[in-house]
Amino acid sequence: MSREKTIALVGNPNTGKSTLFNGLTGLKQKIANYPGVTVERKVGYAKIGGEKYRIVDLPGSYSLNPKQIDERITYQVLAGTYEHEPAPDLIVVLVDASNLDRNLYLTSQVMDLGIPVIVVLSMIDVAQDRGINVDADRISKVLGVPVIPMVAKEEREVQKLRDYISGHKVDPPKPLQWSPSEPLQKAIETLINKWIKPNTNLPERVWTIEALRFIGDDQAINLINDIKKQHQLREIVEEARRLLEESGKNYAAEEVLSRYDYIEKCTSGSVTESSEKIETISDKIDAVVTHKIFGPIIFVMILLLMFQSIFSWAEPFMNLIDLLFIETGTWVSKTLPEGILNDLLVEGVIAGLGGVVIFLPQIMFLFFFISILEGTGYMARAAFVMDGFMTRIGLHGRSVVPLMSGFACAIPGIMATRTIENWRDRIITIMVLPFMACSARLPVYAIMIAAFIPNESFLGIFTLQGLTFFGLYFLGIVTAIIAARVMKQIIKSDIPSPFIMELPSYKMPKWSGVFYNVFDRGRVFVTEAGKIILGISIVLWFLASFPRMESQNNFVAEQSVENVNEYSPDQTEQQQASNKLRQSYAGQFGQFIEPVIKPLGFDWKIGIGLITSFAAREVMVGTLNTIYSVQHEGDEQMALREKLRSDVDSETGEPIYTVWTALSLMVFFALAMQCMSTIAIVKRETNSWKWPAVMFTYMTALAYICSMLVYQVGSAIS
Amino acid sequence: MFPLTTTKPGEKVHICSLSCSMEEAKRLRELGCVEGICAAIVSNQSNVILQVGETKLAINGNLARTILVKTT
Repeated sequence: MSREKTIALVGNPNTGKSTLFNGLTGLKQKIANYPGVTVERKVGYAKIGGEKYRIVDLPGSYSLNPKQIDERITYQVLAGTYEHEPAPDLIVVLVDASNLDRNLYLTSQVMDLGIPVIVVLSMIDVAQDRGINVDADRISKVLGVPVIPMVAKEEREVQKLRDYISGHKVDPPKPLQWSPSEPLQKAIETLINKWIKPNTNLPERVWTIEALRFIGDDQAINLINDIKKQHQLREIVEEARRLLEESGKNYAAEEVLSRYDYIEKCTSGSVTESSEKIETISDKIDAVVTHKIFGPIIFVMILLLMFQSIFSWAEPFMNLIDLLFIETGTWVSKTLPEGILNDLLVEGVIAGLGGVVIFLPQIMFLFFFISILEGTGYMARAAFVMDGFMTRIGLHGRSVVPLMSGFACAIPGIMATRTIENWRDRIITIMVLPFMACSARLPVYAIMIAAFIPNESFLGIFTLQGLTFFGLYFLGIVTAIIAARVMKQIIKSDIPSPFIMELPSYKMPKWSGVFYNVFDRGRVFVTEAGKIILGISIVLWFLASFPRMESQNNFVAEQSVENVNEYSPDQTEQQQASNKLRQSYAGQFGQFIEPVIKPLGFDWKIGIGLITSFAAREVMVGTLNTIYSVQHEGDEQMALREKLRSDVDSETGEPIYTVWTALSLMVFFALAMQCMSTIAIVKRETNSWKWPAVMFTYMTALAYICSMLVYQVGSAIS
Repeated sequence: MFPLTTTKPGEKVHICSLSCSMEEAKRLRELGCVEGICAAIVSNQSNVILQVGETKLAINGNLARTILVKTT
């Protein structure tokens, strides 16, 4: 069986790689993560001249000396050492014509790999606008590889590349055209003979590049896990570096400087630049948005506008989805005969599906805005402006948008962390993001504050209730900052945090890309995280519904409120539901864990709530409603409020809930990982169960300790 | 020679020396910020924005302090 040929797309970030990828593959593409890491793997198929090709869009990188984890994958794939992706048969390097030297650096490294290379000169239109004219033919002659100028936005331009591939046989370029100096060549040979040949099974074509990686910096050496081997390699590297130092060369700079020398020779005569340096629109915008004072103000304004829009635009859709699922549930429960199947469908499957789909509007709107911010190039500025502050608290400039999204809901926020390139910054952002007080906590805060915090004024303008609200939000933010700082100490990384970033020039976003991104995120959420959420929903339904009571007619209260009056007053359905829940596994479990949660001031009723609220935090209120058999007449919250206040211990006669119970419960909700959807999305985004497990454990432990402190200290004082 | 942080917007400078860590220096060079090259300061407010060729590089203040330049 003949294997289809693979073409790899390589290039600096922001060179229009994904646009070319989309142009080549159309919709025949698959986006997933590389196994074990949070780097996206984009693979698609294209028919070129009747032959089927596999197209791989490799992560954008500036060089083959991998620093970031995504660059490492690019290098490993091209070197043929990546187990999940074979070395390509052809490399298409995208080169930004408006920034030729920098882009040719990567090209010159790729040309040393012994794989056929085609250079695509992208953004020639942008370059021309800036008065730069590039002579593609001349560059092609000097480099000895085909160079195809292209405006990737237009279909016929992509056709030029297809035609070239189908019409020509491309040979691997001659390696080492940049002619390394003699000492550098000797250093390379030393490494090849003493380390690479005896210790690795790399193909010969990558020996030089591999040797250069070691000579240039220590990072590649540190990646060798075996201490003894690492030590041996270090000695060989030092020997090679001495060769360079003895002839007065800087070993860290030698490769880069020689390559740039070579590139300069290639581009001189190929590039004509109008001498007058025009201040572009990009420069003018940047003067304002990266300003020390105006920059952050503009950024916060954009964020406020964005979240206000997400909130008000998503709300009607969410209400609609909610209504749709409730109606469907009611219809199914009436149509099907009563019984377990009916309950499973209505309370397990339909309610579970509803719980998944309800997040879609927020996720899609958030990604609509993020795609625009990314597409225009503003995101890099925002990250730059916020970087100082965020670095101080242990995060990255790009963490701001995801963290702010967390105030609406942690799910889209965690999905948005994809814009953070650095792996460690991304993990830490994900791990502290659920501390942001999401909207699902609101109903719980509302009922507890209304019931137990006196509505007294404080310092004239504030009320105690309002202050408590503020305090809970503040608690979340402060905890997130402290947790981030602590984690920065714990999660060590061999990758230095990005201290330098490129600010791409402003452009109009590509709308097809924006919408593709929006729908792709929605799809990924529903298919990947949705499975887990639905599964846990059904388990929770089972726990709350079994074992079943003897009594007849015990279907859930919410669906048949109107019929309450048909039953005798002391046998209302609400009470039946309450009994059902008490006797269920969830109820039994709530009673079982009572000794554990007693120090926090919680009784078994709250215990049940803690379990059921794992489906979504606001379910807590519904569960308490059911347990206390609150009738759905009049003001629901008012009724529950009274019930909570007047609940007394049957032995001592003391009220069960005090101010301190309420505070303790709110602190618990502020800090604990009480949300299966978050767990599911963290699993999906980090590709392992390790991080969700760590998150659940540390957050819940922290919540437990803090709640206990609040309750015990508080009770002791009063 | 003086650190990049002491420059003013609009100034044109020669990059003389990258006195930061080896890894950081390598990264800077890969991004086009090479010794000997001429660059323009776009802005300097604790973080520095540097125009090298057609690329705008945002460099964090601590790193900018270690980049030594001279005026052209």
